[in-house]
Amino acid sequence: MRGNDVRLDNMSITYPNGFRAVQPTDLTVQAGEFFSILGPSGCGKTTILRAVSGFIEPSGGRVLIGGEDMAGIGPNVRPTALIFQNLALFPLMKIWENVAFGLEARGMSKRARRDRAEKLLDLVALTDQAGKTPGELSGGQRQRVAIARALAVEPAVLLLDEPLSALDLKLRQHMRAELRAIQRQTGVTFIYITHDQGEALTMSDRIAVMNEGRIEQVGTGDEIYSAPETAFAASFVGEVNRIDGRVVSVAGDLAEIDTALGRFRGRNPRDLRAGSPAMLFVRPEAMRLDCAENGLVARLLRRDLEGAFLNLYFDAQRVELAVHVTNDGQTQIPSGEAAEIGFQAANAVILPAGPLARTGQELAAQ
Amino acid sequence: MKSLLKGYGAPLTAFFFAAALIWGLLLIILPQLTMLERAMTAPKRALDSSVAISLSRDAETCISVLETYEAAPPPQTSSFGMAVPSASGMSVPSSSGMAVPSASGTARDGALRPYILQCDRANTHVSLVRDRGEASAYLDEIYGLPALAVSDRDPIDAQKRSAAEIADIARALYGDLKAQEALANPYTLANFGWLVAARMIPLSAEQKIIEDSKPSKRIMELVGLRFEEDGKTYERIGLITLARTLVFAIAATGLALILCYPMAYKVALATPPERAVWLFLGLIIPYAIVELMRVYAWTVIIDNIGLLNGLLQRLHVIGEPVQFKRFPGTVFVVIVYTYVLFMVFPIYNVMSTLDRNQIEAAKDLGASTWRVHWRIIIPHSKPGIAVGTIATFMLAAGAFSVPRIISRGLQAEWFSQTIYNKFFESENSNVGAAYSFAYTVVCFVLVGLFMWLMRTRLKDFARVQ
Repeated sequence: MRGNDVRLDNMSITYPNGFRAVQPTDLTVQAGEFFSILGPSGCGKTTILRAVSGFIEPSGGRVLIGGEDMAGIGPNVRPTALIFQNLALFPLMKIWENVAFGLEARGMSKRARRDRAEKLLDLVALTDQAGKTPGELSGGQRQRVAIARALAVEPAVLLLDEPLSALDLKLRQHMRAELRAIQRQTGVTFIYITHDQGEALTMSDRIAVMNEGRIEQVGTGDEIYSAPETAFAASFVGEVNRIDGRVVSVAGDLAEIDTALGRFRGRNPRDLRAGSPAMLFVRPEAMRLDCAENGLVARLLRRDLEGAFLNLYFDAQRVELAVHVTNDGQTQIPSGEAAEIGFQAANAVILPAGPLARTGQELAAQ
Repeated sequence: MKSLLKGYGAPLTAFFFAAALIWGLLLIILPQLTMLERAMTAPKRALDSSVAISLSRDAETCISVLETYEAAPPPQTSSFGMAVPSASGMSVPSSSGMAVPSASGTARDGALRPYILQCDRANTHVSLVRDRGEASAYLDEIYGLPALAVSDRDPIDAQKRSAAEIADIARALYGDLKAQEALANPYTLANFGWLVAARMIPLSAEQKIIEDSKPSKRIMELVGLRFEEDGKTYERIGLITLARTLVFAIAATGLALILCYPMAYKVALATPPERAVWLFLGLIIPYAIVELMRVYAWTVIIDNIGLLNGLLQRLHVIGEPVQFKRFPGTVFVVIVYTYVLFMVFPIYNVMSTLDRNQIEAAKDLGASTWRVHWRIIIPHSKPGIAVGTIATFMLAAGAFSVPRIISRGLQAEWFSQTIYNKFFESENSNVGAAYSFAYTVVCFVLVGLFMWLMRTRLKDFARVQ
């Protein structure tokens, strides 16, 4: 099996009711890459997947797989295979028949189909389950059947639509590693849709962060996490502290931002000019209790023990700031009214003010 | 039982059981058993003992009439025979019983008494009722009685004597037969024999040539439903009607299935739900009309001066009106129309439970539209197809109003009409019971065969709703 590259060329999708699910988008997924599209529900990521698999025709632009324009080519002819969120196994067929369905559609003889299905079930360690029906299998086993079924047709691109979301945490973590291993072993291009940043960060070669039909940032997990390019990307991936303000001066790579809590310095990747409204983002683990640089005075609200980490929550003039410290017994936890906390300028990033990911509180209120 | 009590409480559980009992016993098993018993009971009048007792009553009546005649021989004008109260006339199966008009009171040449019906019938050489196909039997021959009759040429006294003798013999025989019959098995399969009995079809030479060349008649000859004997044509009318009805019902069910599968698919899977509501309404509305009205609507269409003929004449396709009500195809079409809904809804119900992702998954794996239907949608819809097919078949096979209203008696009967006629318009309603029970069994076997063909396990039916 060899993967193929997938290219979206200025592709946009507008639904018949006028809703623009995907804004004009350019995106290239390399051959043999494990590529994730990460975004909140309703951001258009599944729509992109369906456009690549051929169930939706783009309203504008093109979809190219292996350099070939896919316009007018139906899902049954495209070199893609899709793994559905609910897996969509065929409940009335045996496991090996499920796996061999794509081969049956290609007119392969029953014997050859059975042999090929056995091989694929071997790959996902389900050889002994070939004669059962999907209803008799556990969630993880079903998951693996779905993967084997998709791989049976030797797709150049495997599309996965949140396939792990229905599994238990432990199983999910195990399946992440398994998926990654299968991808390496087969060399097929994986496009993986998820709203779970943990999945995206652990498995992917590269990630695209999406919001409201637009791709905000494309990069490796490290880039997305450490060097977010938009306020949304910074707030959606991982936990982050945010301080709103306005850029007052720029010096080299750094910029200074004036906020209600004082003036702070941070990296300036988007070349903001003095006077632009901006947001400063710092990861909780980059916050220091004993740092004079970018210091501010805050009051400890509460202290959550998370085993290896201590999560401290401070209030600084109604801005909540999280500080994660290693629970090694060395750190002096401030008690009483006010404490001095800070962060290094190299660990902070100043980005243009923009839409943010919804917090858990906002989602719960919805 | 315990969980039922716990879950629903005693009164509701009792109600469940009562309902199940009423349903199973009262509505299904009991009527069928009653029907079977009736079907296996020979009609009273057909028994040999009834023939013997009528004979003795006829002979007795003959004597009393002769006595009256002796006492006051009337002038030879009035219709003497008619005035005689006939005690037995009603229960005699012989063809001469009811139908013979008593000519008049006038005595024939050489006769010493006027015509008296009962004296005429007081004859031991009376025919017994036997199944069709058997040689006819006579009372005197079967039971070794002397051949006695009341001859009108004998003196009145001698007539009275022989009548008394006949009465005695017949009464004695009646007693014996009655005792025998009481001991004998009261059940017989004779009523079912009527179903397979052949009847002679009177045909002129020209008619016969035309009939013989019809393919349907050839098929009948091939399977033994029609045969020739001594140059006469016989047909097993009952079986022919049965076979014909079943063939029509099966064909109507097949056509309904072919029509309904795409309809159900369109509404259940190929239309966005918000628009499917309107399609659904479109399906239901015609069926919010009483069945009879729906059937009558068709008579407006197919009448000689109906819509269809009017249209065809207006378009100069035909000169003379076509008598659609004479075409078996018309009944067929109306049956399909009337019962198509019972096919659509079970299929629709099951189909709409199919996860559309499965269709997309199959397509994504490279399946053609045909394969998606054959491998995914049809297997999933199987229970619905089975229920719809069985319901439509049973309704079509038992259709009564449609063939009756549409054909208006101008076509061969539907078997349900035959059953009705045997029940309410023939001399022997037990034959109707036999027909009805046989039909139930045949349909049951066909349904079982169909389920076996579909490999539909009984538990699959639970998935329908």
